[in-house]
Amino acid sequence: MSGGWLLALWLVAQAPQDLRELAEAGLKARQAGDLAGAIRAFEQFVAAAPDVAAGHVHLGAALLEAGVYEKAVHCFERALSLDPGLITAHRFLGTLRLNRGEAAAAVPHLEKAKSWDLLGVALLESGRLAEAIPALETALAERPDDPDLLYYLGRAHSDLSRQLLDRLLELHPDSARAHQLLGEAHLAAGNRELAEKELRSALALRSQLPGVRLALGDLYAAAGDYERAEAEYRAEAEARPADAQAAYKRGAILLNLGRIEESVAELERAERLRPDMPETLFELARALTAARRLEAAAQRLRRVLELEDRSRLAESSAFQLAQILRRLGQHEEADKQLERYRRIRALRKQQ
Amino acid sequence: MQVAACFAILLGALELVSPRGVDFLLRHSPTSQKYIVETMTGGLALLDYDRDGRLDLFFVNGGRLDDPVKAPVRLARHEPAYWNRLFRQQADGDFADVTARAGLHRAGESNYGMGVAVGDYDNNGFPDLYVTNFGLNQLFRNNGDGTFTDATAAAGVAAGGWSVSAAFLDYDRDGWLDLFVSRYLDWDFHRNLHCGTPFLAYCRPDRYNGTSNLLYRNLGNGRFEDVSRSAGIAGSIGKGMGVAVFDYDRDGWPDIFVSNDGMEQFLYRNLGNGRFQEVAFEAGAALSDDGRAYAGMAVAAGDYDNDGWPDVLVTNLALEHWALYRNEGGLFRYASQESGLAAISASSSGWGAGFRDFDNDGWKDLFVSRSHVLDNVEKIHSGLRYKEPAALLWNRGGRFLAAESKGLPAVAGRGAAFGDLDNDGAIDVVVSVLGEQPQIFRNRQRGNHWLTLQLVGTRSNRDGQGAVVRIGRQMVEVTSSGSYLSASDLRVHFGLGSQTQADVEIQWPSGVRQRLSGVAVDQILEVREP
Repeated sequence: MSGGWLLALWLVAQAPQDLRELAEAGLKARQAGDLAGAIRAFEQFVAAAPDVAAGHVHLGAALLEAGVYEKAVHCFERALSLDPGLITAHRFLGTLRLNRGEAAAAVPHLEKAKSWDLLGVALLESGRLAEAIPALETALAERPDDPDLLYYLGRAHSDLSRQLLDRLLELHPDSARAHQLLGEAHLAAGNRELAEKELRSALALRSQLPGVRLALGDLYAAAGDYERAEAEYRAEAEARPADAQAAYKRGAILLNLGRIEESVAELERAERLRPDMPETLFELARALTAARRLEAAAQRLRRVLELEDRSRLAESSAFQLAQILRRLGQHEEADKQLERYRRIRALRKQQ
Repeated sequence: MQVAACFAILLGALELVSPRGVDFLLRHSPTSQKYIVETMTGGLALLDYDRDGRLDLFFVNGGRLDDPVKAPVRLARHEPAYWNRLFRQQADGDFADVTARAGLHRAGESNYGMGVAVGDYDNNGFPDLYVTNFGLNQLFRNNGDGTFTDATAAAGVAAGGWSVSAAFLDYDRDGWLDLFVSRYLDWDFHRNLHCGTPFLAYCRPDRYNGTSNLLYRNLGNGRFEDVSRSAGIAGSIGKGMGVAVFDYDRDGWPDIFVSNDGMEQFLYRNLGNGRFQEVAFEAGAALSDDGRAYAGMAVAAGDYDNDGWPDVLVTNLALEHWALYRNEGGLFRYASQESGLAAISASSSGWGAGFRDFDNDGWKDLFVSRSHVLDNVEKIHSGLRYKEPAALLWNRGGRFLAAESKGLPAVAGRGAAFGDLDNDGAIDVVVSVLGEQPQIFRNRQRGNHWLTLQLVGTRSNRDGQGAVVRIGRQMVEVTSSGSYLSASDLRVHFGLGSQTQADVEIQWPSGVRQRLSGVAVDQILEVREP
């Protein structure tokens, strides 16, 4: 632990002059892996200096390492009774309690220690989902690729979502939102007919309910029925002219329908509504390519590649950019982009 | 010809007919094991094997599979039900089974049939057959007397592994047709995987390793030399399906396009020195426009926009969009959306395909045989269908519109071959169907003028394969290749609309340029290389 050497210095500094040798002996023994020796030395230390909080922390840490959990807990609690603000003791105690399944008891200690990752987990395990999410997000900001954090944050969102939706269905089973929810759930599960039925029921109750027509559009688009998908996306876009998502989806489906100029116009509108949305930029580039506006398409793809470096979209953008540059006669740059595409593809395959 | 029912079953101008004598059932032998080979067969050819002026039909059969197949693998094809079949067209338009008489009943004992290529490899004036198999392939030399001789061993073209499509081409322009073979997977019955939960389904090709394609150079003495490695073909490991031969960069040397299943496509550019370079990425035809691979099935090459440059279509599975690459001066641009094909093919799976002018209006239309690859896809994706009716798409100035169909049954369509069966100037189609009789579509289109040319090479290969024929803005390359597993009529067909005569320009593979002025339309004209 990063604060370990500070605590050690603090212990030596806090120790009465005649006990400094004992403290140093305990630290050396622990460092050498001699847990029994370390425990003996720290026990002698706390017996001689029972009011030095750091001594209890070190003894607790050595006991913890040796698997003597009950005694370790007692040591950390004793240290905190002497110095309630002792962060290291809070961290130890919070971690210990979380590991022993006492998530609720761990929370106050991890809060004081500002251990966002473990606090997020403790809150999640305690059922305090709404509080867990910001803690885990704070931790994830520091370690964005950490698989454990990604898992726990995903789980927290999922559990919270389930809780809220269960409540919605319980309290308002015949509401438009309940039908929308069930429709989206059926859609996700691939039950197209049930999804369509629920989404249509939602619309029958609230014809302007946001998101329902988008879901219907997705349903038809996934089945390859682009004409009906476009009609739904159009209805959503007309009802919510400031909705970039609706404009993006309509623009993309117009492209698949071969209505190139309309697609460009709609995707440019989506771009104005929400600049720098990578998905919009990419679809717009495809539409502009079909409209033979190659420079404008290349500009959007370059922007995607500034925003994303190794996503699926970045891979596709590098590929598409290489094709455009070759058509523009920029063969050297095209080769570079093709190489970039291959590099991203290889990286993604490794992942 | 006898009509199938008391009412006409129509797909646009194409009428589904059942001529007497075509008694062929494509036996693919589906098993509970879901051997992937079962769903891939279905080659056929339209060729005039006896040179009587009428196209005949050759069908490749699958084979008998035990369930499960036990070691050692014996695919016993000596039973007549598993033979490949040759049907000779008679003067009245009916057909007669001449398989045994022609000596084509020997399909092999340890193979499972796939596809066929047609070309006169010995320049004796009669088309030969190359049959691809899972197992050893077979070359049948046409003796010119109505019989064929198995010349596989003498020619050295048995290959092995899992061959799929094949094409004859004169890649070195020495006047002898060479042979290209696409191969699919490194697979056999005992390495077949079980995929799909809870419904067992044919595995995706990415569960198996790919393999290399083959190129055989015709030495002119009845033998071929395997030049796959030295020509730069074998270095690309793919999952080859369809093959089309055309000169995409108009440098005079035939190039080869191979559709690959679940990975990037291959475009082998002929460098003119006996070597090829795989350039699909550089040419813009490797992937869809969003950089995704798809399940490449058939390849159809043709100048659909009449700009003088051959374009390419690759059919694939539902939810992928058939990939149309528009050739713009030797660089391809993905044009599935603007051509209307993306919307038409969104929920449809395509196999055999070809660009032909079915209404003789001067624009090449598109025919696609259809079906999903999974015979239980309805259980897996409620929005998709296994069996689909074939599709005819009218070309209206570069944009495709689906022709109306009336009563056309949904089938598991696979190979498709094109040609003028009744020599009436309208292109007909034959489709192979898994587990069923083939579908034969007779084109009832009338009204527009046409011209069909049969080329006879003298310095070039006798078929004239590789010759480029132009009439006005239209361009057609002579080849029997393209589609899936299939070989089409080698004659070159032009729809001419209201045009009453035509000026024809032929660029022969030998380099000879031939011009014919004021040619009368509505005829089949034999043109000899000067």
